[in-house]
Amino acid sequence: MKRSLTGAVAVAALALSAAACSDAGSSTDGPIKVGSVNGVTGLFQTPEVPQAVKAVFEEVNKAGGVNGRKIELISKDDAMNPQRSTEAALELLESESVVALVGSSSAVDCGLNRATYGNSGIVSIPAVGVDPACFTSPNIAPVNPGPFKLLTAMLYYASETLKHDKVCMYYTVLPGSGGGIDAAVKEWSDITGKRLAVKDTSVGEGDPTPYLVAAKAAGCQAILYNATVGPWFAQAQTQGLQDVDFIMGANSYTDANAEVIPDGLNVYAGTEWQPYTDETLPGNERWAKIVDENKIQKTAFSQGAVMAADVFVQVLKTIKGDVTRESVTEAFKKMRPIQYPMVGTPWIFGPGEAHSPIQGSRFVKVENRRWKVLPEGFIVPGKN
Amino acid sequence: MVNSVIAGLTGGGVYALLGLCVVLTYRLVAVVNFAMAAVGAMGAFVMVSLMDAGLGVWLALLAGVISGGALSALLGAVLVRWFGDHDERTKAAVTVALYVALMAIGLRLFGSTTTGARRFPRPFDAPAFTVGDVVVPQSVLVSLAFAVLITVGVGMLLNRTSVGLRLQALSERPATAQVVGIAAPRLAVAVWAAIGAISALVILLVAPRLGGDFSTLGKLITTALAVAMVGAFRSLPMTLAGGLLMGCLEGFTASLGAVQQYRGVVPFLVIVVLLWWRSRHEVWDTAHSR
Repeated sequence: MKRSLTGAVAVAALALSAAACSDAGSSTDGPIKVGSVNGVTGLFQTPEVPQAVKAVFEEVNKAGGVNGRKIELISKDDAMNPQRSTEAALELLESESVVALVGSSSAVDCGLNRATYGNSGIVSIPAVGVDPACFTSPNIAPVNPGPFKLLTAMLYYASETLKHDKVCMYYTVLPGSGGGIDAAVKEWSDITGKRLAVKDTSVGEGDPTPYLVAAKAAGCQAILYNATVGPWFAQAQTQGLQDVDFIMGANSYTDANAEVIPDGLNVYAGTEWQPYTDETLPGNERWAKIVDENKIQKTAFSQGAVMAADVFVQVLKTIKGDVTRESVTEAFKKMRPIQYPMVGTPWIFGPGEAHSPIQGSRFVKVENRRWKVLPEGFIVPGKN
Repeated sequence: MVNSVIAGLTGGGVYALLGLCVVLTYRLVAVVNFAMAAVGAMGAFVMVSLMDAGLGVWLALLAGVISGGALSALLGAVLVRWFGDHDERTKAAVTVALYVALMAIGLRLFGSTTTGARRFPRPFDAPAFTVGDVVVPQSVLVSLAFAVLITVGVGMLLNRTSVGLRLQALSERPATAQVVGIAAPRLAVAVWAAIGAISALVILLVAPRLGGDFSTLGKLITTALAVAMVGAFRSLPMTLAGGLLMGCLEGFTASLGAVQQYRGVVPFLVIVVLLWWRSRHEVWDTAHSR
């Protein structure tokens, strides 16, 4: 591990010195080159994301491009492999001379490449920000709330919208995300003055019955849960937890999960964009049209892709003069907030050392093995 | 705490079933089968996929069990035909390779943890009785009964019947068995088929408790091997007890704040200690030769 880290640092240092010599991303004719690092193969698979970003750019290109120049997306698959992710970023920056990164969706990109992006003075607008580094870096601003802002919104929904006093948390924690979870819980406590009745972050694979029995004994009224869906809810039904409200995160918001939740249980999920299962919601018409026309898989991630591409094009159009890496970065740092109907708060890059512009979540509930969108609209902690 | 231990104990039956499958395979065909859970999961997913397509439960169950058996028979045929003369380690390595292949195929065919969750039939889900705060469903009793059936049934088969005698001969001295006229390849493949069918049934029984997607079910082999270790890959009753112990330990660790974080590790630590304790009087070169 130590050896590979040293290797990565050496490669990054080499790349930086190369960057200083080349005039990366400053050509003024030909297409505007944009890059993205996506998990297409491997454990975190989002092949629909680069497809959707390309579809938006195609639409812009058909209408004449931006100031007569077409936009070209160069997507690299990192297969959730740290080495491939580092190489992909360097290749995009050095060989392809991209002016920005738009629509990345990788579980490892932000953490590994944040320094490279910072040193190269390039901005990244990921379609899906996964790890905490996506929300704490000066040159990265995702278009989703991310797991931690979402958690604050889920807690707020449990205590303020559903009005429960005993809110419990049964979570499985990935290495490195424990601090983010603590910060999210603290933010909720600061806003509401409430505390968790139970906080158990040891849920893993195995029989969930002991946890469910403990939750029942502790009198939990709402349970936040983020691990495997099938056995947990099958056993929750057996143990008689029909009067508890279960709240899950966006990662559990899939059609397959709705199918396996037994009747009679109250199961909610917080979503990052307007719930994708209802195409009539504000902002979803545009997304649905793009993915339908291009036969792209309908997922929440493809919503993020369309949004990232849209805000990029919108900011790109404000640039007067040459479109270079420098002018694009400057435009994002000086931009005005964009009201995008698919999310709860306006999106802005802006100056600053950390960016987490999107907050709040809209909630869905399982009814008859389908996700049903709840009428409350976006729940933004401290504002609803 | 008592509630948590009881809650854990209700999961003991399914852990025992997993361990018994491994020990059973080892006793009958002398192979540590790393692909056991993945083969069973294939059978189970054939069943739920057919049910999703509209087939009746019983026909789907039959199809699922037969496909588990057929896949296992195929693996058995490969092992008998091409690796018959090799030692246990090579055979185990072959099953590891098959495990990796099956997991990749399963992920592609049936989806990941979030996209591939399936609804498994839960015919025995009605509450049987309640102990403290814990509702004990009938499925717990069914799992335990099935585990006892395997323990007693296989024990009797091996010790009391002529087929059992031939199987023992085959698993311990395959070459000699063939010399004295036991039709080794055919019998071995038949046994593999039966093991595959039982694995599919076991995975169907454990799925509502331990995982609803292919990769989680396939990975249950680690738990199964840990339980099998308690029985030292030999004793069926000890394996049954090992499963119950595993359940208790999981419940116990879940209830203690101090060790909660290490819930996944504690059962394995205890098993290591148990193995050491069991082998404390053994002399190393005799104890480890079969």
